[in-house]
Order: sequence, then structure tokens, then C-alpha cells
Amino acid sequence: MKLIIAAILLSFACYNQAEEENVARLLASKNILNQYLVEGKDLTVEYKIYNIGGSSAFDVNLKDSGFPETDFEVLRGSLNVRWERIAPGTNVSHNVILRPLSYGYFNFTSGEVTYKPSEEATESVSGYTSAPGEGGIVNSKDFDRRFSPHVVS
Amino acid sequence: MESTGMIVIFCSLLIVPFFVTADTCLGPEVKAETYTTTEAVSSRDTVFIVQFQLTCKNKLDNLNLYAEIKGKTIPVTKSVGSNVYQISYSDEPKKLPSGQYDFRLYDDEGYASLRKAQRSGESTDNIKPLYTVSVNHPGVWKGPALQSEFVAALVAILVWYSAYIAKTKLQTTN
Repeated sequence: MKLIIAAILLSFACYNQAEEENVARLLASKNILNQYLVEGKDLTVEYKIYNIGGSSAFDVNLKDSGFPETDFEVLRGSLNVRWERIAPGTNVSHNVILRPLSYGYFNFTSGEVTYKPSEEATESVSGYTSAPGEGGIVNSKDFDRRFSPHVVS
Repeated sequence: MESTGMIVIFCSLLIVPFFVTADTCLGPEVKAETYTTTEAVSSRDTVFIVQFQLTCKNKLDNLNLYAEIKGKTIPVTKSVGSNVYQISYSDEPKKLPSGQYDFRLYDDEGYASLRKAQRSGESTDNIKPLYTVSVNHPGVWKGPALQSEFVAALVAILVWYSAYIAKTKLQTTN
């Protein structure tokens, strides 16, 4: 009797698993690709979104509000983009080039990703990218003192 | 009676192509701004970014676009709140040497034909892209080839050596 009850309960778990396979699930990472963060030099940010679910994700929006305009200038790329759909088992990447306007320690926070887990879904699911954490932006004078060719000065 | 029916069908068939071609961008014009990684300090991978605006003669916008580069197909992102599309492509610096890179843009139809050709192993050169954007990558600067201190020391040694040769020459002629 107990075995039958256990079997029925376990079958519900399998049912949930199967349902998961028809739903999209996105994982997103955010990385700073720089070797050194220097004031006035390009800062390269890369976002990668992976769909590990069993169906396409629709209306995927990526928005990063973690770069205030007073501290960073956007050179190329957009911090708020969307993809119409991301197929299951595939990944997409997005790059943005910024320029730090001041030096010091900066906490690089997560971006936000919203998407519809299936074509029939009416509500969007929201998640966050990974956060690169705190980084130090070096003063341009200190960087030149250490790395520039010293030919003239 | 039959002939009027036939005429109606014939006329409606004539109109259908106009509705079908309305989905493809006619006479595409692209205004693009590009970026490539030029300093190794800025990024450990070489990154190409193409931001562009697409205008079609039939006033289509908000299209689904795909870019093909080096055999890889990437979806083109749309900027929220503006009519700007973006292609992002990155790889290790040694896989992306300096030179010209062509990004071929395809719409939904073109992408479907591309995938079909790739699956059946046919050549994809016959499928005409919507537009091709060329990016010129000047290469990534990794720092000066020789340290300036090393060059200065080398010059100093050369000067000393030529002075030594001159001195011995004078001494032997005396």
C-alpha cells in the first residue's frame, strides 16, 4: 500500500520535470573583459545569456542600470536591448564599450533580464545576471607612469 | 458566370504578390558605426561591435535580423527605445587578426534559407544577404615591441663601441 502511494507521489514529480522541459530557462552572466581598468580608457563589458530550458524564450530584455552617467560614458553598444527569441540550448552574447570618467573603487552590479518562458506565456519572468563585483579604476597618470613607453617624459 | 468567377480569382491572385513582398525590406540602407578592440588592456578578447540603423523603402521596421560572420550566425539585438540594431562578436585575439571582416545581414526569410542550405550541406554563397557591413580591424596593440629603456641601453652601447673602435684606430695609426 505504502509502495503504491510512494509510486503515485513520485509520478507527480516526474510530471513536474516534464513540464519544465517545455519551458525556457535563462542564465545570464556579466563580465568585464579588461586586463586593467583605467580612467579614460575603454572598458569592455560582455553579457552572455544561455537558454538551458527545453523551449525558446521570447521577448528577452536585458537592461543594465549599473553604470551611472556621471561615472561612465557609453562609447559603443546599448545598455538596454532585446532579442525576439532565444532558441533552447543556444546562447547569445552582447557587448558594450564604456569609458570610466573617474578613478577609484567601483562596485559592478548585476544587470536585469526579463523574458517570457514560452510563446503562450502572458507574464514575463525576471532574473539577474552575475555581478563582476568590486573593481579598482586606476588613475590615468598612474597607469602611464607604470606602462607607457617613457620616450618623451 | 463562370468567366466572372475566373476573372475575380485571377485578379486576386495578381494582388497577392504585393502582400507577400511587404514582409521583406526593399531597398535597404544601413548607417553603421563600428568598434573593434585596439588595445589589449581594454579587453582580453577581441570584440567587434556594429551599431546600425536600417531604413527600408517600404518603411518596415522592428525586423528580426541575423548576422553571418566566419560561418557563424548570430542574432542581431534591437535597442529598446530607439531604432538601432547591434551586432556583437568576440573571440580570442589570435583567432581575429587584423583585416577586413564582412557581416552579412539576413532577415527571417534569408535566415531560414541559410539554415536549410547549411543542413543539406549546400553552399551558402547563393543566398543573397539583405546587406553586408564591412568592419576593418587594425589589430590589437599589446604594447611597444621593445622597452624604451632597452633601446636606450642598446644605443648607448653602440655609441661606446664606435667610440672605442675610433680610439683604437687612432692609437694604431700613431
